[in-house]
Amino acid sequence: MVAITDYNVAEKSQWCPGCGNFAIVGALKGALADLQIPQHQAVIVSGIGCSSKLPHYVNTYGFESLHGRGLPAASGIKLANNRLTVIDVGGDGDGYGIGSGHFLHIMRRNYDLTYIVHDNQIYGLTTGQASPTSQLGMKTKTTPYGVVETPFNPLSTAINGGATFVARAFAGDMAHMKEMFKQAIAHRGFALVDVFQPCVTFNKLNTYDFFTKRVYKLETEGHDTTDRMKAIEKAYEQVKTNYERLPIGVFFKEERATYEDTLPQIKEKALVDQPLSGLDISAVYPDME
Amino acid sequence: MDFVFKIAGQAGAGVMITGRMMVKCFTRGGYNVIGYPEYPSLVRGGHNTVQVRISDKQIHSPRHDCDLVIALNKDAIFYHMESMAEGGMIIYDQLIDPSRFKLRPDVRMHALPLSKLTLDVGGTEQMKNTAALGAALAAVDYPFGMLETLIREELARKGEEIIKVNISAAKAGYDFVKSGGISFGKQIKPASDVRKTIVTGNEAIALGAVRGGMKFYAAYPMTPASSILHYLIEKERQFSIIAKQTEDEIAAMNYAIGASFAGARSMVGTSGGGFALMTEALGLAAMSETPIVVALVQRNGPSTGLPTWTEQGDLRMALHASQGDFPRVILAPGDVQEAFFLSAKAHNLAEKYQIPVLILSDKFLSETVFSTERFDQSRVKIERGKLVKGPLPALAPMTRWKRYAITDDGVSERALPGTPNGMHVGTSYEHDETGFSSESFIMRAKQVDKRAAKMKKLLKEMEAPDVFGATEGAEVTLVTWGSMKLPALDALALLETKGIRTRLVSFTHIYPLNPRAVKKALRNSGITVMVENNPTAQFAGLLKEYANVKLDFHMLKYDGRQFFAEQITEEVVKLKEAGFKGQQRIEVIEKEDMEYYNPQRHGL
Ligand SMILES: Cc1ncc(C[n+]2csc(CCOP(=O)(O)OP(=O)(O)O)c2C)c(N)n1
Ligand code: SF4
Ligand SMILES: [Mg+2]
Repeated sequence: MVAITDYNVAEKSQWCPGCGNFAIVGALKGALADLQIPQHQAVIVSGIGCSSKLPHYVNTYGFESLHGRGLPAASGIKLANNRLTVIDVGGDGDGYGIGSGHFLHIMRRNYDLTYIVHDNQIYGLTTGQASPTSQLGMKTKTTPYGVVETPFNPLSTAINGGATFVARAFAGDMAHMKEMFKQAIAHRGFALVDVFQPCVTFNKLNTYDFFTKRVYKLETEGHDTTDRMKAIEKAYEQVKTNYERLPIGVFFKEERATYEDTLPQIKEKALVDQPLSGLDISAVYPDME
Repeated sequence: MDFVFKIAGQAGAGVMITGRMMVKCFTRGGYNVIGYPEYPSLVRGGHNTVQVRISDKQIHSPRHDCDLVIALNKDAIFYHMESMAEGGMIIYDQLIDPSRFKLRPDVRMHALPLSKLTLDVGGTEQMKNTAALGAALAAVDYPFGMLETLIREELARKGEEIIKVNISAAKAGYDFVKSGGISFGKQIKPASDVRKTIVTGNEAIALGAVRGGMKFYAAYPMTPASSILHYLIEKERQFSIIAKQTEDEIAAMNYAIGASFAGARSMVGTSGGGFALMTEALGLAAMSETPIVVALVQRNGPSTGLPTWTEQGDLRMALHASQGDFPRVILAPGDVQEAFFLSAKAHNLAEKYQIPVLILSDKFLSETVFSTERFDQSRVKIERGKLVKGPLPALAPMTRWKRYAITDDGVSERALPGTPNGMHVGTSYEHDETGFSSESFIMRAKQVDKRAAKMKKLLKEMEAPDVFGATEGAEVTLVTWGSMKLPALDALALLETKGIRTRLVSFTHIYPLNPRAVKKALRNSGITVMVENNPTAQFAGLLKEYANVKLDFHMLKYDGRQFFAEQITEEVVKLKEAGFKGQQRIEVIEKEDMEYYNPQRHGL
């Protein structure tokens, strides 16, 4: 039995009081406990940012990589040891800005891992610059006259891009968020959960209050998660309604072979469980003589 | 016996494959063979060549001048006439009009109706080089049976029909030369039954890594490193490894670091531009103390540079890449055997010391094919260092394992994900002993010192340079690092004939440098000449910096080609004639300009 408290660490989280990240950590621990994933069998990977400090606050294995590089590091971990539960977390700048190239390609590959984006629509750690998801018109340190670049739409991109599980959560609704995480981790394939995460210090527009008034659950509307076109439509609702109606929940889900499924060399045993020494290379000589 | 063929034709005409067949053909005859390719960065339209040098004696590098050129396009006559050996021969496709070119009275010219020969036996234009290969062998009276067997084996998967046509095309070329009385005047008969293996530097690096326990390889295509990726992907299932083409080099490096963090021995391969993109993550490996091996196959920079040519210009980049100070190792194999064993060793060093290890090769070593002995794989031992096996003792609640415990030798025990009670965070931030981010001044200094402490033991792993030639009483000592060992070895023999007693000191363990070993190898060395394939004598600078050794002369070449033994010899002879006086810097540039890239410029 793994208890939720097993994932606790003594160190105090270093986030601003009220930051949405606290709820994300709580929900993630809850999901891990509900799924009974032993501490040593989970690796939480991250990039760099306020959000990316999360691995330090969950008592599992962790790998805090470079800004924007959580996804490739997580991919390598998964390929080397496909028995592990691998979860990558990071910010909107991290994943949709500097790391966007990796985001596009990991979806095509459909590794069996979970990606949680703390989408606070701002660069938190570097004190308030515009991010790829900053809302049109929002004033930030780097957009004194308001954002003019069309915000990146992670959900429609993911649905188009080959992700096999696409969901959104809101850090102000912990029970629902935990449910999203559970489903994402349990899903076989690449699962994205984009979380509306209020940054109470640098984003004065997208606050708890802002979201509470606007979010609604797709489940209550009977949304069909297998309908790709409907899912894309839902992903565009925030644009269509100018952020007035913001659906949360599972947008899209499909079953597809994972990348690991296509590798016979790890069917029986993970790479790390295979012997290193004694591999006879003589078999290659006939081609070379 | 020392004979040099060159097969030359338009890119896409199959010159490279034909060259490799020829290398095999003579290797099977018991000869020492070197197949050296040159090609511009163009897929079609450029001029490709493979030089095949064969000898019954030890040879180490391609020769500058060729005896017999097989010209499949007119460019070949234009480009290679200058570098024909005295009394050489050019066999050219009949479609070429040689009267357009300045010919040499001592070079014999023979036309070959290649199209007709291949079409008559039901072959395609593509098989012209097979016919040409047959013709080349006939000119030196090499038995046709060798080629026939080879074609059968190489094309076994293509079916009997294809095999038959190819053999007929080869035979047509062979017979045309024989019946036409075309003969080079030199007989090359199979010399012995000893069968050597043929291998490129890149194949040796790949095989050494696999034998050294590498389980994960990631790369993004980049010449001249790509063939490592191709080879490993081809053999992926056979070796039970994963070789992954990623979206870019940044991803490749971070994939590999992730895989290594999880416990798989990992490597990336690239050239300078790709390594530039990996630079940030090199520091991640260093800070998180994750073992990683980088095969950096150099070409000419800066920037895109000369993608398909060679240089040793990235040593300083390898040494200084990434911010901050951290221990690393640089190895530079000087031949294919060294490439195999150093590649395996790199993985041991990376894991034992939990550091990045770089293998520096270059286009010349990596893409040239050499006949060699089978690798003595029993010599490769796997050492995993302080890797934790089995579960660790229970941790107090809410605490984590001290992955980065301060130790005397700087190396801490390493637990892999999946190990009970080994939980910790690997991180790019400075951290405390459990991996938790820490900005404590004291902890920061301790962790820096801990990482740096690894250098002490590492220095003992660095082998002294190899010494060849005149160990005593040398008048001149050539100093090389990495692949320049090869032409320098051949220069030793040439200089001997000129009456200059020469020693070669060849470095493969480049950094950290052991000053005592350097001084010992260079004792009583006479006049010292650094032979380096770059414009700034990068390694000579390292010798000065780390061993306080100043070499008398820096012989440098950075025109795109490696040194040829003849060039080294010529310069040393000139030096001697000048009483070993003159400028420290000696620049060597090819005499005739090839400019393969843009044949139109020469009206071709
Ligand atoms: C290569 C590189 N460039 C820039 C930075 C500085 N940097 C650190 S975090 C960050 C952005 C943080 O924003 P986000 O990813 O949205 O995370 P948040 O802090 O909002 O959770 C930046 C630009 C860095 N660490 N590395
Ligand atoms: S800056 Fe914003 S995202 Fe970062 S800890 Fe503070 S509230 Fe959270
Ligand atoms: Mg952010």
